Amino acid sequence: MAWNDPQWGNKDNRKNSGPPDLDELWKRLNERLGGLFGNKGGGDGGGGDGFSPGGLPGGGNLVGLLIAVLVLIWLASGFYIVDTGQRGVVLRFGKYVETTEPGPRWHFPWPIEAREIVNMDQVRTVEIGYRNNVKSKVLRESLMLTDDENIIDLQFAVQYILKDPKEFLFVNRAPEDTVLQVAETAMREIVGKNKMNFVLYEGRAEIADRAKVLMQRILDRYKTGISISQVTLQNIQPPEQVQAAFDDAVKAGQDRERLKNEAEAYFNDVVPRARGLASRLKAEAEGYKLSVIANAEGEASRFVQVLSEYQKAPQVTRQRIYLDTMQTVMNNTSKVLVDQKGGNSLLYLPIDKLQQIVSQPYSGAPDVLSQPPATSTPAAVDVRSRDALRNRDRGDRP
Amino acid sequence: MNKIFGPLLIGLLVGLVVLSSSMYTVDQRQNALVFQLGEVVSVKKSPGLYFKLPMVQNIRYFDTRILTLDAADPERFITSEKKNVLVDSFIKWRVIDARQFYVSVAGDETRAEIRLNQTVNDGLRAEFGKRTINDVVSGRREEIMKIIRAKADQDARKIGVQVVDVRIKRVDLPETVSENVYRRMEAERKQVANELRSTGAAEAEKIKADADKQKEVIVAEAYRDAQSVKGLGDAKASALYATAYGKNAEFYAFYRSMQAYRESFKSKSDVMVLDPSADFFKYLKNPRAAGGK
Repeated sequence: MAWNDPQWGNKDNRKNSGPPDLDELWKRLNERLGGLFGNKGGGDGGGGDGFSPGGLPGGGNLVGLLIAVLVLIWLASGFYIVDTGQRGVVLRFGKYVETTEPGPRWHFPWPIEAREIVNMDQVRTVEIGYRNNVKSKVLRESLMLTDDENIIDLQFAVQYILKDPKEFLFVNRAPEDTVLQVAETAMREIVGKNKMNFVLYEGRAEIADRAKVLMQRILDRYKTGISISQVTLQNIQPPEQVQAAFDDAVKAGQDRERLKNEAEAYFNDVVPRARGLASRLKAEAEGYKLSVIANAEGEASRFVQVLSEYQKAPQVTRQRIYLDTMQTVMNNTSKVLVDQKGGNSLLYLPIDKLQQIVSQPYSGAPDVLSQPPATSTPAAVDVRSRDALRNRDRGDRP
Repeated sequence: MNKIFGPLLIGLLVGLVVLSSSMYTVDQRQNALVFQLGEVVSVKKSPGLYFKLPMVQNIRYFDTRILTLDAADPERFITSEKKNVLVDSFIKWRVIDARQFYVSVAGDETRAEIRLNQTVNDGLRAEFGKRTINDVVSGRREEIMKIIRAKADQDARKIGVQVVDVRIKRVDLPETVSENVYRRMEAERKQVANELRSTGAAEAEKIKADADKQKEVIVAEAYRDAQSVKGLGDAKASALYATAYGKNAEFYAFYRSMQAYRESFKSKSDVMVLDPSADFFKYLKNPRAAGGK
């Protein structure tokens, strides 16, 4: 329907109800716009209606307003905010112009200038050999060869941030994928240069360090604008198929230590005990020596004193001692006086009965004395020493 | 004023249309070739705003960033020891001569990649064939990569491409060989374990034996010393007795005998059968018996 279609007027007339204000407004707008475009159409087509004198300035004003609004919107599209940790990169007609710092910014809107915002400080992570957690392994990525042609299972993560937004955006098509590729190649190169025992046990930290250095070097060579913040080894172990043997070897090392420790404990038990025993033996000997000497001194002194008294009055002293002794002996023993004058008749001595009179039980047979009154001295009964430890000494005494 | 405004606006719009088709931008990440009637007229390497003849000239863009060619599957190569290895590598390349790139591979990245891949694989095959697995994995890895990069780059220039880097990502052994490696690793570990255990046991024995030996020595020496000391005591005691008793041997005999008798006969169960004519009883019968000696 063309703008200057008389149907518009008909439409107006049909609508008798309805807000008259809007209608009026619409009508006037139509007229003005119709006037404007009618002129254009006339200019192109070569013939058309005349224009209403009052149409253009009014129409021009509204259009001007519209254009002004559009221009404002267009200009406003150049506003943008750069958050902390981000940078804005501004291109003018495709050419790099500047890097903008955090804060509210503005650039000439498209097509003159364009912006891209890059998150510099966000820490991004790349996982190699596993996904999400160490349990879900990706064997293709995690198994690698060492210098001595052994295979180990290594899972690690690389964390990185951006350091140059210009390089990051313009030099590589997929800089973040590059991190993944470089991480793998660098780590495998470092592992490949070292022996398995080093990688598995003592050298973990060093491996991570060297890999980080190599990765950074390569990424810088490609000018990715990325800076690696950390390489973390999540897990290094022998492949599953041989893990049992490796664990056993570790256990063997522990067993060895345990055996040695046990032996040391035995040593520390036995030797001090022996020393203790040695001390005790020596102390006992010393004690024995001192007691024997003291005994001897005592006995000797006793004898010497008695001897000096004896020498003053030998006969009397001897008699006295003899009689004292005999008295004690007679007192303490059971006696039988047998008066035998020459006759060889057998005398029956009921020794057993005599013994029964005695209150103390006496085990062992007594020495029965012979009948003929040959000797006056009583038979001796062997005195056995009771103390085993002094056995030798009694026997050896003069 | 009104008369001019309309045509002015029209003219403005037309002008804009014409202008837009004669201006173009080249992005920081691109190079552009300007074609006129199918022929390359100029190459734009710096980014910015440029002008061209509308309709007559048209532009073709080429991404000049570094691209990666990373094959999905590893390639199999044979080393100098006639062993198979599976190698996964990637190539970093970029367009540096857009005109040459267009002329040789019609600006098709895939075609370029096919060619690069072939060159690199040929290079890898040649280098691996000269070297052992250990060289490839460890010692000569970097060297090989450098050589191949140089070769690939040289060839790539012919299609307007620069090979920035060729890196060996993975060198792995084929499945069957890996199994053998695992067996070997296992056996080697078992040996290590056995050795650890046996040296541990041996050392433990040594320590225990040493402990026992020391114990024996200590106790024996102590016993020896103790006996010696006891002997000293005995000797001294004997000397003391001898000195004392030796002053009057006879009296000693008497005195000691008295003591012996006293100790020997002191229990009621000792029975003495005596003859009353013994010297002890002489006063029993006669108060005036002969004087005792």
